[in-house]
Amino acid sequence: MAEKRNAEAGPSEYPAKRPRNDDDEEDIAIDYNEEDAIPPSPPETNLVPRGATINFSALTRKLAEARRAKETEPSNLSSLDQHRRHQDSLVSHIFMDQDFSWLHLKPDHASRPLWISPEDGHIILEAFSPIAEQAQDFLTAISEPVSRPAFIHEYKLTAYSLYAAVSVGLQTEDIIEVLKSRPPKVPVPDSITSFIRERTLSYGKVKLVLKHNKYFVESSHPETLQLLLKDQVIREARVITPQMDNSIKAATFTTSKAPVKGSLVIPGTGKEANKKKDDGKPAAATPADADLFTSVVGVEGDEIDEDDENVHAFEINDARIDHVKKRCNELEYPMLEEYDFRNDTVNANLEIDLKPTTVIRPYQETSLSKMFGNGRARSGIIVLPCGAGKTLVGITAACTIKKSCLVLCTSSVSVMQWRQQFMQWSNVTDKQIAVFTADQKQRFAGDSGIVVSTYSMVANTHNRSHESKQMMEFLTSREWGFILLDEVHVVPAAMFRRVVTTIKAHSKLGLTATLVREDDKIADLNYMIGPKLYEANWMDLAAKGHIANVQCAEVWCPMTPEFYRQYLRIQNRKRMLLYCMNPNKFQACQFLIKYHEDRGDKVIVFSDNVYALEAYAKRLGKLYIHGGTGQVERMRILSWFQHSPQVNTIFLSKVGDTSIDLPEATCLIQISSHFGSRRQEAQRLGRILRAKRRNDEGFNAFFYSLVSKDTQEMFYSTKRQQFLIDQGYAFKVITHLEGLDKMEDLVYRTRDEQIELVQSVLLASESEADLGSDVRGADGDLAGTVTSKDFGLPGMPRAPAAQRTTGSLTALSGGAHMSYVEQNKSANKKLAREVAPRHKLFAKREKDKAAMKKAAANAAR
Amino acid sequence: MRAIKSVLLTCDPAVKEILIALNEKGSFIIEDLDDYHLVIKADEEWRVRRELEVELEKNTYSLET
Repeated sequence: MAEKRNAEAGPSEYPAKRPRNDDDEEDIAIDYNEEDAIPPSPPETNLVPRGATINFSALTRKLAEARRAKETEPSNLSSLDQHRRHQDSLVSHIFMDQDFSWLHLKPDHASRPLWISPEDGHIILEAFSPIAEQAQDFLTAISEPVSRPAFIHEYKLTAYSLYAAVSVGLQTEDIIEVLKSRPPKVPVPDSITSFIRERTLSYGKVKLVLKHNKYFVESSHPETLQLLLKDQVIREARVITPQMDNSIKAATFTTSKAPVKGSLVIPGTGKEANKKKDDGKPAAATPADADLFTSVVGVEGDEIDEDDENVHAFEINDARIDHVKKRCNELEYPMLEEYDFRNDTVNANLEIDLKPTTVIRPYQETSLSKMFGNGRARSGIIVLPCGAGKTLVGITAACTIKKSCLVLCTSSVSVMQWRQQFMQWSNVTDKQIAVFTADQKQRFAGDSGIVVSTYSMVANTHNRSHESKQMMEFLTSREWGFILLDEVHVVPAAMFRRVVTTIKAHSKLGLTATLVREDDKIADLNYMIGPKLYEANWMDLAAKGHIANVQCAEVWCPMTPEFYRQYLRIQNRKRMLLYCMNPNKFQACQFLIKYHEDRGDKVIVFSDNVYALEAYAKRLGKLYIHGGTGQVERMRILSWFQHSPQVNTIFLSKVGDTSIDLPEATCLIQISSHFGSRRQEAQRLGRILRAKRRNDEGFNAFFYSLVSKDTQEMFYSTKRQQFLIDQGYAFKVITHLEGLDKMEDLVYRTRDEQIELVQSVLLASESEADLGSDVRGADGDLAGTVTSKDFGLPGMPRAPAAQRTTGSLTALSGGAHMSYVEQNKSANKKLAREVAPRHKLFAKREKDKAAMKKAAANAAR
Repeated sequence: MRAIKSVLLTCDPAVKEILIALNEKGSFIIEDLDDYHLVIKADEEWRVRRELEVELEKNTYSLET
C-alpha cells in the first residue's frame, strides 16, 4: 500500500514521496491524538546512521534461516518436495521475516481466493475471485476488515471478532470446517485453528446482567465464577451486601468449608431474598443452595435467562464495572451482554414504532440483524460510512427494543438533529422525547421515553446547576433499556467510562463512521461497549447506489521559490499559512473550480484556516461561510448555493465538517485541513457521499485535496488518506493540471503578484495560522468534536472584540473619497446588498396602482 | 584565482531552496546559476545529498507496519 504513489515525481529528479523500508523504527511513535490542537511535526529523522539502530528484519531473517536449516534434514522426500524446497531456498531471502514459503499451496490454489497467515491471523482475500462474495460474507462474520481496496482484501481474525461470530450463532467447529474446506490456498495452520477454538469455547459462559439497577456477573458454571473470583481485580470489585445474613443462610455458610465459596453466597442470597419477595416464587433455589453449591446461590426463573438451569451470580460494584469487563476479557472469559428485552417485565415498554413510510436499506437491516441475531439485544458497535443512514439504524434499534432509551451525541447541534430524526422516522410523540443540554432540561412524560443528551452533560463531574443535578439524578436512578452512543470513536476513554458506569443500561449500541483513533483507545471500546457487530463495505454501498461514487485525487502543487524560501526559514506555525497560500495552489483551486462549474457541478471548497479561506474566497469572488458568519447571512448563502444556478461554489471552514448538510454538492476541494486527521478526511468525503444526483447514470462525485509539494502537508495528506484507502478508495495523484497555463484571468500569474502575496502572508500574525479558530463549541459540546481551539469553557464570558470609532477610519484613509473603490471585496457583502429584482407582474401592478392613485387624486381635485 | 573542483547540480526550484538553506549552515554552493542549476563543491556532494535526503524524508508518511 505504501507504494500507492509511485507516480511520476514531476519535474524534479527525485521522487518526493517514496515508500520507505520497514526498518526505520524511529518514525513510528508519533501523533497519538490527532484531535489535539498541537500538531506533531513530521518525524525528526535524525542523522543516526542506520547501523546504530537494531535491524529487526535482519534478526528475523536469521531466525528464519535457522528454521529452514532444521527443515532440510529429512532426505526421504519425493522429487516434487525436493524441488519445492529448492525453489523456496532460492526466493525466501527476498521476503525476510515474512517468509512463508514453507507453507505450501494446495494443488488447486488458483481457484481458492483465501490465504491465511499462520502467525497473526491475517487473512488475504482475492476479491476478484468468482467466489469472493460468499467468502466475504463469511469473513466479515468471523473477522475484522483491515483494508478493502478493489482487488485484494485484508481481514484479521481477532478475539473480539470471534466472540462476535459466536454470539451471532456460529459454532466453533463450523468456522473451522468452512475455513478448511473451500477457500484457502494453503492448509489452515494449526495455530489458527487452535486460536479459534480457544477463543470461541470460553465465550458466552459469563454474562453481565443488570437487575434492579445493580450489576451481576452471572454464569451457569460455578467453577467459572470461582475462577473469576480468584482474580484480584474482580474480587475487589465485588459487592458484599451484609444485610442479608439471615440465620438459615448464615448456617449454610458456616457448613461450607471453602472461604472463597462462603463469601460468594452473600450477594446471591440477597438477590434470592429479593426474588422471593418480588415474585413470590418458591425458593426452588434453596435446595441447590444447600447441596451441591453450598455457597453459590442459584437464581431460578430469572427473566433474563430462559433455560431453567441454575444460574449463579455475584454482584459487582458499578464503579468498577469496566475494570471487571476488561479483566474478564484478559482472562479470556469475555462477558456477554445481552438483553432479553421482550421478556423484561420490570421496565415499562415504550410504544414507539417506525413510521410505515420508513424503509430501511438492506445493509441497515443486515447490521441490525447482527445486533438482534438471537432475539435479544446485543451490545456492540455498528460502523457505517457517513451519509449511509447511521441515525436510522439507531432509531430502528430503539424501536425494536421499545424500552426507555438514552441517546448520547457529541454536540448540542447533533442533539437537536437526533431529536428531529426521531420525530421524522418514528411515531414517537413530542412528550416521549426529551432533550438534556446546557440550555434545555426536559423530562419525558410517563414511565418510559427517550432522552437525547451530550456526552459531556452526562459525564460532567464539576458543579452543576440545581436543575441539571436533578436531571442527572433522574438519569442515574432509572434503568435504561437501551443506550445509543453516537460517534463513539471521539469520546475520551475517561469520559466514556463515567458515562458507562453512571448510567445503567441493559444494552448499548455504538455508532460511528470511522472507527479510527490515533491513540490505542479503540480497543477499550471493545469491553466498554462491545464488539464491532457490523462494518459496511464502502465500495459495496457505492456500487449499489446507496452512497455516491467518488473519484479521489490529490493535486500536487509545487511551491513557488519565494514561498518555499520563506517556508524553510520560518519555523513556527506560520509555515502552514505559507503552504496554504501557495500561489500555485491558488491557481489550481481556481482552475478546478472553473472546470467543475463548467461541468455543472456544485463545488464546496474546504479550508480549516480562516485566513486562507477569506483570501481565496475574496480573490476568486466566491461566497464563504466560517464561524464568524452570522446566522442570517449563512442561511442566505446556503440557500443561494442550493437554489441559484449562479452560485455554484462556496467556501466553508470547519463549520462545514459536521453541521451543514448540502446534498447538492458534487465536488469537493480541500485547500487546508486538520493535520493528519483521518477522521476529518472521511467526514469531508461524507459531505459528498449523499449527493442527490448519485443515482444518475455514470455519476461521479469528485474529491480533491490540494497539497503543496515538498512541505509537511505531503506528510499529513498521505496520513489522512489512510482510512479511505483502507475502505477501498484510490487516490490519484495529479502533478500537472492540463490547461492551467492557458486559463484566462489566472490569479497570481506574475512573479510580482506572487511576491506581493508572500509579503502579505508574512505580515499576517501567527495566530492567523491557527486552524478552526472560528468555530466555537457550545456549552456542553464535547471538546474537540466541534474541532475548535476554543471549547467554550463555561464561566469565561467572552468579551466582544473591541471596537472604538470616534471618526470614520474610512474617511481618514481616503475611503470616502470619490475615487475609492474596494478591489478585493467579499462576495458575501455584495450578495447582502443586492435586492432581488421585482417581477414584471408586480412592477406593473405597482405602476398601475400609482397611476390609479394619481387619477383618483386628480378626480377628487 | 584558484580552481575548485565542482559539480553541476540540476534540481527543481524547491530543492534549490532547500540547498540554499543548507548552504547557510556550511557553505558549499559556488555559483547559483538559475532556478534549476547550481554549482557546488565536488567533495561536499555526498554530504549534501544525504542531508537533502533527510530533509525530504521529513515530509514522507510511511505506514506503521
